[in-house]
Amino acid sequence: MGLRGSKPTFDDSSNVVYFIQIPLRGLRVPNLSPFPLKLETYLRMAKIPHESIMISTLSSKGKTPWIRHRGKDVADSQFCIEYLNKQFGVNLNEHLTKEQQAVSRAILKMVEENLYWVLVCYRWFFMNPKDMGLSQNIPSLIFAFIRRRVRKYANGQGMGRHSQEEIFHIGKLDLQALSNYLGEKKFLFGDQPSETDCSVFGMLAQFVFSNIESPHCALIKKEFPNLERYCHTMRNTFWPDWDQVLKGDASSTKL
Amino acid sequence: MRLTFGDTRLLALAAGAIAVGVVLFLNASRKQRKRKKLPYKDESDTVYVVQIPRGKKVPSPSPFPIKLETYLRIAKIPYENVFARKFSSKGKIPWIRHRGKDVPDSQFAIEYLNEQFNVDLEAHLTKEERAMSRAFLKMVEENLYWALACYRFIHDDVRKADYPSVIPTWALLLFGRRIKKYAWGQGMGRHSVEEIFHITKLDFEAISDYLGDKKFLFGDKPCVADCAVFGMLVQVVFNQTYSPHNALIKNEFPNLERFCWTMRNAFWPDWDQILAA
Repeated sequence: MGLRGSKPTFDDSSNVVYFIQIPLRGLRVPNLSPFPLKLETYLRMAKIPHESIMISTLSSKGKTPWIRHRGKDVADSQFCIEYLNKQFGVNLNEHLTKEQQAVSRAILKMVEENLYWVLVCYRWFFMNPKDMGLSQNIPSLIFAFIRRRVRKYANGQGMGRHSQEEIFHIGKLDLQALSNYLGEKKFLFGDQPSETDCSVFGMLAQFVFSNIESPHCALIKKEFPNLERYCHTMRNTFWPDWDQVLKGDASSTKL
Repeated sequence: MRLTFGDTRLLALAAGAIAVGVVLFLNASRKQRKRKKLPYKDESDTVYVVQIPRGKKVPSPSPFPIKLETYLRIAKIPYENVFARKFSSKGKIPWIRHRGKDVPDSQFAIEYLNEQFNVDLEAHLTKEERAMSRAFLKMVEENLYWALACYRFIHDDVRKADYPSVIPTWALLLFGRRIKKYAWGQGMGRHSVEEIFHITKLDFEAISDYLGDKKFLFGDKPCVADCAVFGMLVQVVFNQTYSPHNALIKNEFPNLERFCWTMRNAFWPDWDQILAA
């Protein structure tokens, strides 16, 4: 799986959003990376017509996912959302108060800039590679190569400097915060979902549905069961075709 | 074999060189041992906070020592600063030493001290507020931090920022090169200058909107998140006053500056006295 990848053909005259994600279809999640899952959930929530393309071409920033719309490439899931909000007149946070919007941003950042690294460190340093949750195991040489790079990134970011127990503890505090804030509510801010629900779902789905062997999954089941309940709510609401997507039957989401 | 005069001279030179080498080595080891000896009294209950020396405009050019010291002051935990370029086992500052135990990382240090001194700055918060407190803490330390670090070290000339004079310029520039590498791996470093400014603005907006007219983030009593926000914002409000971020706060989020003054007046009444001359 080369990361250069092929360049697909886009119809830049149409209003369709081409949603390009790395082909990491998991056995139990539509994508092993939380960010494509976040962005696709947003596209479904906002009912924006889109076409999913699974190729290994990374964005101009070297990451996944990215979008192409009317000939414009936009990298980074959050910049994509801001762009699409403008293009399609969408505001999934309209019903939130100013304070709730502030909390929404704080939770978004906690999940994407902190909990994300807990997940990354778990998967690349502590987990048995066979538990990655892919249909085929990553060859051990490639795994070792990627792990070396991840270790460099994680050390630079900071999380990689902590011990396994410390990283688990940090993850637990984040999960506890999410659980306490969600409480009995259907979505983070009540009965209506909002933008940050997409990101939180994208991240939690990795623990709850994919890495079911992880201590984090056990922790959620035991101490934060509302997070599992929440994942099922999001999945049932925005991914009724989840099982078909996993099998590769649904030609993802042409609305 | 009889030694010639030339051989003797060579031997003398060699012996001299070895002697000089031994003296230099012993001297270096003595200096090293002297450097390593920091003034801990491990039998006392004092918390030693190891950090780099004071700046002229802010107690530290790094947000984390200010966060930690502010916490110690709020919690009224007796502490003593050790100003040294001695990094923790995780390669960072600040770190603490207490009763012979070294604890790196400001947040782990706070959790350790909460336990040791039976402190909980969040006791007055509801479960939801505690959750929000954690979210703001992480937004500030794992997102805003990188945006501001990119500005200080990559987009702008780091020599304009307030750093203690004991840190030579070459060390700052070298550190800046490292930050650039780290920021790329973390992600922030992949964005453009404008995009990073935009991200910074959104974070400022979130803190400002949540703070509103309140004295501290969650009302009249400060918590750990206030310490973290303060440590980060003083870099903009009091350190890099020439930055576009400072102008942004003055123009659009004046309550953030008001918050900094509130924290400074409440917990750092000695601010002016402790700064470097």
